[in-house]
Amino acid sequence: MTNTRIPPARAERPAVRAAPAPQGPSARDRGTRLLATLFLTPTIVGIVIFTVVPIVGSVILSLFHWNVIDSPSYAGLSNYGEVFGDETVLVSFRNTLVFMVFAVALQLLVALALALTINGRMPVWLRSVFRSAFFFPLVLSAASISVVMKYLFNQDFGVINWALGFVGIAPVPWLTSENAAMATVVLVYVWQQFGFSFLLFVGGLNNIPKEIHEAAALDGATGLRKHLTVTLPLLSPTLLVASVVGIINALQVFEQPYVLTNGGPGDSTRTVVMVIYETAFEQLRFGEASAVGVLLFVLIMAVTALQFRLSRRFVHYQ
Amino acid sequence: MTDSHLTRRALLRYGAYGAGAAALAGTAASWDRLTGADIPGRDDGSLVVATLGPAYGPEAIRTLREGFAELHPDIKLRINAVQAVDWSDFFAKILTQVAAGTAPDLVYVATEGVQLFAQRLGVALDKWVKRDAAELKEYFTDVHPSLVESMMYEGSLYQLPVEFNAADMYFNRQVLRRAGADFPPADWTRDDFTALLRDMKRSGGSRFTPYFWTNRLWGGVVPWLFANDTNLLAESKAPGGDWLWNGFYPTAQRKGRGGGFRWTTPQASHDRVEEVYDYLASLIQDGLCTRPEGGNGQNLIGVFSTGRVGVTPAGGFWAGGLHLAGMERDGFDVQYFPRWRTQRMQYGAAGYALLRTSTMQDEAWEFIKYAARKDTLERLFATNQTTPARRSLLTAGRYAKTGPAHWPVFYDTLDRFPDTGPIPAPPQVAEVEQVLLKHTGTALASARSVRPALRRMQGDLEKAMERDV
Repeated sequence: MTNTRIPPARAERPAVRAAPAPQGPSARDRGTRLLATLFLTPTIVGIVIFTVVPIVGSVILSLFHWNVIDSPSYAGLSNYGEVFGDETVLVSFRNTLVFMVFAVALQLLVALALALTINGRMPVWLRSVFRSAFFFPLVLSAASISVVMKYLFNQDFGVINWALGFVGIAPVPWLTSENAAMATVVLVYVWQQFGFSFLLFVGGLNNIPKEIHEAAALDGATGLRKHLTVTLPLLSPTLLVASVVGIINALQVFEQPYVLTNGGPGDSTRTVVMVIYETAFEQLRFGEASAVGVLLFVLIMAVTALQFRLSRRFVHYQ
Repeated sequence: MTDSHLTRRALLRYGAYGAGAAALAGTAASWDRLTGADIPGRDDGSLVVATLGPAYGPEAIRTLREGFAELHPDIKLRINAVQAVDWSDFFAKILTQVAAGTAPDLVYVATEGVQLFAQRLGVALDKWVKRDAAELKEYFTDVHPSLVESMMYEGSLYQLPVEFNAADMYFNRQVLRRAGADFPPADWTRDDFTALLRDMKRSGGSRFTPYFWTNRLWGGVVPWLFANDTNLLAESKAPGGDWLWNGFYPTAQRKGRGGGFRWTTPQASHDRVEEVYDYLASLIQDGLCTRPEGGNGQNLIGVFSTGRVGVTPAGGFWAGGLHLAGMERDGFDVQYFPRWRTQRMQYGAAGYALLRTSTMQDEAWEFIKYAARKDTLERLFATNQTTPARRSLLTAGRYAKTGPAHWPVFYDTLDRFPDTGPIPAPPQVAEVEQVLLKHTGTALASARSVRPALRRMQGDLEKAMERDV
């Protein structure tokens, strides 16, 4: 005979409490909101003036022909037609996406590997030295770094090829070959940028409770397996932030390719922001440049939205 | 039921916040704030002159200002040295000022921008030149007509040239000695040049590149195009300009002159252009020449002065540049660009352009005249950072300290080769230059890439030239 539990009679069930009648915010809540609004106002004003207004301005300007000298004339969507028919623009979008994929992946890999290494058994003072050293390039001007790197990577007179010559490697056309130039730009960019992700990862690793690692160790997880099954899932929120910021920055890359290769050889390292600059300030076609800018804005928004969408599946919060 | 009324304490607290905020706002409003009007010279009746920053150091600016103040104490002058990496960057910044409604009265403009400014922003100087013809006679006598012609657009004169630089060929003397080669004669040919590079290469070792050049409009591939009797764009002369030639130049010098250059149909796919690219590609394949990099040649001084490069195209500006880099006057020398089909040379010149937006055009004209005076240029170009447009300034004394020994080459380039002309710079110059640099890089990747790259260059140039600036 099975022992089935008989549900209590309806009358015996505890009565469901009626939801309280909606009430307005308390005086304290209102005060807090007012105070918050007061503190946020300068930031909001700043964002409106320096972000929203230029975005709206660019969208409006993308509908006009304007060469700075004459008055703008309405062009409708013809600037967008010009942009989509311009091979240089399309190539620049392709270059930028390729650059983004490689630069962000390499940046995150390098930063994560170094963060894991430094977070291991290492004296505190040495950790500080490495932290400072890895972060240092980030505070330097990208243009200055690129000028120096241009000398280092020079095919005929650069220090790098000079050093490679000692081990019998022929001079590499770092900046003058279509195949190598993009890789060189990625390398220079990653060298400068990885410090930001590195610091995020160091912070994220420090936030993972030791007990979890100890429990994993008791279960027999060691080395790479421990990192794959414990560290990475717990670091996923940090990875999300690092990748979102990294992708947004990479899609807007300008200084490194501009100084190192000026977009060449051919168009092999020409990026979208370079095209915007050249179209606007060198060729005086501000409408078309704005149209390219609007398209880049849409691309960045779409990629970021996709990242947050995917994050629901891959990001784990403790 | 909640009490929706504010307590007295809360009311007092928010009252205090409000009072505090109002006090802060009041204080901020009462502070003296910086505005556009606080920029020295802004809207104070000054004549504003924009110069390319790196070309004019503080000393030069002081020289200009003080000299002008002596002559015209009634005209306030402000010199705005705009920092830029090259001419196109400089023009971009000037145009930004124009867009912002803060355009200068005068802009220092090189050949790269002469037609752009003349067509869209500049004021022709004809009426003032005619008015002050007697005063200017001495200036025109001292300045080669080719330089003046390069500052004309559709029959009118827009600038008085004050400096220029032709693309001559510089040699590192130490490298020549090492190769056992003689200094080439003035009428040397492209084949002599190639043979010299081979001699240099043999004696130079693996870390040495005989010929270095920068991929840019001035001094890049264009001098080779000129030497092979061709050009990137079809070149002709605009009609007009007789008022100037007949007024200031003798018959022999005004022969063949017109109202300025016209650069029209692209001809990148012409056989002679292809020949030039084939030749340069072959130099690269043979290790006699570097792959050209973009830039302004800044990194070249170091490698040339230390003997890692033997030959490179440069102008009179390098006499001062190499001296500053520590080269002795006999460490380097200069010769004309080698002959191919012709020995036509290319140059770029510069002078002050008067903007239409200026409300001080008569005062601006006085500055233009002052800036072209012999004593002004003597002080301004004392360090040989360029070639003065005035022939009389090129003396043995000027180059005694810096070198090179063959300094007369700088100005004789114009006299010896009368067809020597400016780099092709139509109003669409920015896009033309970008197309040239882009496809030159691709064309020289290998011998096989020349033709397809030039075909693409031709297509892009056609599109660029169709566009109205």
